Amino acid sequence: MAINLKGIISPYNALKQAGKKPHTVQYPFEKKEAAERYRGFHYNDLEECIGCGTCATICQNEAIDMIFIEGIETTNGDSGLRPRVDNGRCCWCALCVDSCPTGSLSLTKEYLHVSEDPDSFLLIPGLDNPEGKEKISWISNGNSLLDYQRVPMPELEGKERVKSFAEVVLGYSEEQARAEAARCVGCGICTDNCPVHMHIPEYINAIARGDDEMAVKIIYDNNPLGETCGKVCTRRCEEICAVSKRGEPIAIRWLKRYATEKAKNKDILKEIVNPVILPPNGHSVGIIGAGPGGLTVAYYLALRGFDVTIYEAKDHAGGMIMYGIPKYRLPLDSIEKQIEYMKSIGVKILFNTKVGKDISFNELKQKHEAIYIGIGFEVPYKLGIKGEDAEGSIQAINFLRAINSEKHVEIGNKVVVVGGGNVAIDAARVSRRLGAEVTILYRRRVEDMPADWEEIEGAEDEGVVIHPQAIPLEIITDENNKVKAIKYANAEMIPDPKGGRPRPKIIEGDEHIIEVTSVIAAIGQEADYSFLPDEVINAIEIKRGRIVVNEYQQTKLPWLFAGGDIANRRADAISAIADGYRAVQGIEKLLLNEDIKNGGRLN
Amino acid sequence: MNKNLYNENQTIEEIKNTFHTAEIKLQRESRIIVKLRSDLIPPFLSYAKNYLAFNHLAHFSCVDWIEDNEFELVYLLYSYEKNIVVIAKTRISRDKAEFVTIKHLWRQAETYEREIHEMFGINFTGNDRLNEFILEDWDDIPPMRRDFNTIQFAKDNFYTRPGREDAQDVRETITKKSGEKIPDFAKEFSVRNLK
Repeated sequence: MAINLKGIISPYNALKQAGKKPHTVQYPFEKKEAAERYRGFHYNDLEECIGCGTCATICQNEAIDMIFIEGIETTNGDSGLRPRVDNGRCCWCALCVDSCPTGSLSLTKEYLHVSEDPDSFLLIPGLDNPEGKEKISWISNGNSLLDYQRVPMPELEGKERVKSFAEVVLGYSEEQARAEAARCVGCGICTDNCPVHMHIPEYINAIARGDDEMAVKIIYDNNPLGETCGKVCTRRCEEICAVSKRGEPIAIRWLKRYATEKAKNKDILKEIVNPVILPPNGHSVGIIGAGPGGLTVAYYLALRGFDVTIYEAKDHAGGMIMYGIPKYRLPLDSIEKQIEYMKSIGVKILFNTKVGKDISFNELKQKHEAIYIGIGFEVPYKLGIKGEDAEGSIQAINFLRAINSEKHVEIGNKVVVVGGGNVAIDAARVSRRLGAEVTILYRRRVEDMPADWEEIEGAEDEGVVIHPQAIPLEIITDENNKVKAIKYANAEMIPDPKGGRPRPKIIEGDEHIIEVTSVIAAIGQEADYSFLPDEVINAIEIKRGRIVVNEYQQTKLPWLFAGGDIANRRADAISAIADGYRAVQGIEKLLLNEDIKNGGRLN
Repeated sequence: MNKNLYNENQTIEEIKNTFHTAEIKLQRESRIIVKLRSDLIPPFLSYAKNYLAFNHLAHFSCVDWIEDNEFELVYLLYSYEKNIVVIAKTRISRDKAEFVTIKHLWRQAETYEREIHEMFGINFTGNDRLNEFILEDWDDIPPMRRDFNTIQFAKDNFYTRPGREDAQDVRETITKKSGEKIPDFAKEFSVRNLK
């Protein structure tokens, strides 16, 4: 009988499985590791999160609430809110993670939760599960739903630009503007950093929805110079844009420019904004200086039925936006359109009327119940070095004023600009357009320059040479007292032990001389208060060249308000507009509210 | 890395020669996208199955292009022989959401079509089993259509647990801090427009 060998050996085949891991559940219970990209409970990096609430908005199950958490405050750039997830509703689609601008929100591998207490399914990611940080499985890198690239702004080429004063920035087309506006998550974090708190998410949303006219109307609600800001604003809003945490911020300024440029002339603008103008209320307000602050006060007071008159020393309104900002950034017809619109709603401007010369301050005081001063900083600082009074040594602000008034200024073909602010860059770029070779000398490093980075890049594109860490020592003159050369020393940066920004220190002996035909100083300005009578000067408080005001821009004299460069340290148009807007509320309260006690003090 | 794309290029060539209007793109190795006019879809699928050896219907799905007022039908065919996926795409009008069935080519298409019918509301002529599938007693617009308001549906149908009343509005929180006053005519635009 043959032995069925196979029948005997086969059962032993099973032995080859002995060394393998069983597929059945291990006992004692061993938790299996979830897959690499498993989508379990949320984790939120509470430090990274800025509380923009995009997760709560995008959630299709309404599972996410934004709530206050102890220890996290509402600050500039952070709403102070953090998400809380109702895991009874969450379906782990991860839309919230994929649309988180900061990338703080993620999903973890953790998915087991058994409890009889329904409230335990409400989880504050990051706070309730700090250990989740170690188990992150789903992050939005690579699959983010947000667009982190800005729609590039079409511009003239550097070589083309220096040939004329034509506007450099060409503006978005409709398609580009819609695409850029669609990048916005609409959180409104930005509005806090805007001095006047413009309704940014609202007008961007209007543009995204295709309603440009509504966008203009929203912009003019608290900024009467929307087009100016659309072109030259220092855009602090973009600094804290939620999208900027990981990408390029929304081009808020360019979108504002796009919308406001839709109104081609003052009549169209008036039709779109269609402001409510209250009947005259019999009160009269005088404004000194037709700069952005003064114009803002005039515009909103005129709408509210006040009789307003602006006294302007020069023959054009706009102040620094007219005489300081070069025309390739802000063309004349754009300013004129905005001023004409203001006149059309009842703002009166007396040109060539310098208070203190053509009309006395006391006369003004008798004519008006309240006065707003917005004279700006018109007197330039001097370098304080030898040879400064020579022919060919000029101050940037005087230079820009002359160029903007279409006067001829002889600067020759080799110019050195001293300074690193926007005024210095403006002076340098204007000099390039007049055909000169331009070098900027700046005390600190390029990254310390207060000027806008786009302006610095623009200047470099146009061929301006920036020489950082260079301190001017002397202007060398020839026998006719004309500028011949400038002597400067290189500096090294000394870290500030108190933690401030590093300070430049001259390197002894490292001195150089550049031959130049003119030197333009742009190291700051101050105000000229000589038109104010002594009793007013004594009654108000002036600290370091600036008038001290309260939250309504009111000085120590109840009827006197001040704003703009003379009252804030930010030195830009939007801050002056914000001051003006606050002053409007102050003046309205002062003149219309009978109950103001305290001798008219608004506190 | 230089990959040998002989099979892919061969397949593209063959499709091109037969369907002149097809828009063909080699997306990556073993993945070809073919965009076709809707009336060419049945002949194309039949051709791919019978002549090019794409005998497996791996997936059949739909995309709602609401901006273009169109639905896109996406067929994924796989060839075991060539190890290639061909993705056939076509667009049909959203106003007339109707297409022909392909269940005579692959039986399982019947179920895919039932699902697409229920989720997107597309009617497949020739498929007689387009009855209720996963959704029970559904009387709203098909839920995968992009104009279906999912958030509203969640609001209407799911119970909100107590203890969530302390939720804050982000925009309001910021305006409270800054003192910004949003005028009434702009409030409508405070509603976020996330796509």
